[in-house]
Amino acid sequence: MNPTTVRLTNIHKSFGRQEVLRGIDLEARDGDVISIIGSSGSGKSTLLRCIPFLEIPDQGEVTVGDETIVLTGAGHRFSRAERQKIRRLRGQIGFVFQSFNLWPHMTALQNVMEVPLHVQGRPRAECREEAEAMLAKVGLADKRDAWPAHLSGGQQQRVAIARALASRPRALLFDEPTSALDPELVGEVLRVIRALAEEGRTMLIVTHEMAFAREVSSHAIYLHEGRIEEAGPPQQVFLDPVSERCRRFVRGQAGPVD
Amino acid sequence: MDLAFIAAVFPKLLAGLPLTLSLAVLSLSGGAILALLLSGLRASSWLGAQFANFYVYIFRGTPLLIQIFLIYYGLAQFPALRHSLLWPLLREPYVCAVLALMLNDAAYTSEILRGGLRAVSSGAIEAAKVAGMSRPTMLRRIVLPLAFRQALPAYGAEVTSMVKATSLASVVTLMEVTGLARAEVSQSYRAIEVFLCAAVIYLVLVTLITRLVHWLEDRLSTHRSPALDRSPA
Ligand SMILES: Nc1ncnc2c1ncn2[C@@H]1O[C@H](COP(=O)(O)OP(=O)(O)OP(=O)(O)O)[C@@H](O)[C@H]1O
Ligand SMILES: [Mg+2]
Repeated sequence: MNPTTVRLTNIHKSFGRQEVLRGIDLEARDGDVISIIGSSGSGKSTLLRCIPFLEIPDQGEVTVGDETIVLTGAGHRFSRAERQKIRRLRGQIGFVFQSFNLWPHMTALQNVMEVPLHVQGRPRAECREEAEAMLAKVGLADKRDAWPAHLSGGQQQRVAIARALASRPRALLFDEPTSALDPELVGEVLRVIRALAEEGRTMLIVTHEMAFAREVSSHAIYLHEGRIEEAGPPQQVFLDPVSERCRRFVRGQAGPVD
Repeated sequence: MDLAFIAAVFPKLLAGLPLTLSLAVLSLSGGAILALLLSGLRASSWLGAQFANFYVYIFRGTPLLIQIFLIYYGLAQFPALRHSLLWPLLREPYVCAVLALMLNDAAYTSEILRGGLRAVSSGAIEAAKVAGMSRPTMLRRIVLPLAFRQALPAYGAEVTSMVKATSLASVVTLMEVTGLARAEVSQSYRAIEVFLCAAVIYLVLVTLITRLVHWLEDRLSTHRSPALDRSPA
């Protein structure tokens, strides 16, 4: 079996008195593509954001690569060593946001080069070469000098994917990567993500694109009120789930049968 | 109007330009550093934020001229200062003027910076965070450049208003452009010509600065308006 890339153990997270994650266990092995589905407010984004500590879990254990961080309760104060550990852990992850979040004062190429150059401290020539290759990979070699504001949503998201790839992450996390896009731009982004799946990248994808998720993922997870209600191979979760609620959800999302 | 007289006055006033410029440059640089420190203080703790707010309240709520007088005449009231090693410095009108201008500029600049920082999107910050950027790198590479771009128009206005404010230094005997103009008037009694000359000097300075700021804005804000795109299509 492939080595573990991301592992969450018994993750709990509350906002105020609302418990949003109620004991999540999840493991992504090298090469896994895990899609995470569930209705709005079920905690999908929170779950994904807990991995790089954009949200700090109250309790549980987060492992990425060789870094493990154990949480002992809400309001945990991190020591200096732990904060460095979190940064190293983040360095092994590429995160793609729903709203792209490119840095608006940098061109596409500068966005992609920024982290390798200024966080990882790799040689400039190497960073540039690799950044150009990443842009080519997402089909935007000709947009290297464009400002984010001059790119379409689909192009911005593809630059964001190239940026996430450039830091050579062990796992890529996508939080509804196509939800902010006009319908006609969704395809170009999904194509890029599919190509990454075919390369054998380890990915966790929160999405409402059911057909796409069924096709690319090796595992699927259905989240309901902060718990994993159904998990298994995509054929099971999307076509023949055990949970009645999950069954209704995937039916409702599927839309007209094509 | 006596053109020959004006032609003779101009060079006399221009002799004060270096002093005017040095007052402006020193107080703007000092003010900028202080403003950054105030921003840091504001972010550090509740007490720090209270202090920063109070500082800004005092320096923006009182006339600059009064601040100059208070520093020039007021510092001597403190025996501890008068007997300190710094006294030979603090006794200098030049130092007092720079100090007052700088403290005043810091208050305005820190508010401008605050507005700029508020405009930095949380998405840009999260993207930096999630990439494992350290706080200093994030400040240097993402937050401050974005805040600076946002704040540039307001900061440009602050720079020009500081250049004009240096004329107040003449009240503590400094012979910058306005000081020289007043001296010239008391000799020649031709106030209109002399002060018009001084006004023209300030106007040219302010125009040059405004141009420079606009040029900088254009260069830095290509990311905002497609009309300014200079990248190959
Ligand atoms: N920063 C926050 N502060 C307070 N409550 C929050 C915060 N973030 C999320 N929540 C709440 O937590 C719950 C789960 O939110 P989350 O964003 O994880 O859901 P989601 O499954 O991603 O939904 P969607 O499909 O709409 O994106 C929601 O009820 C939301 O209101
Ligand atoms: Mg969400």
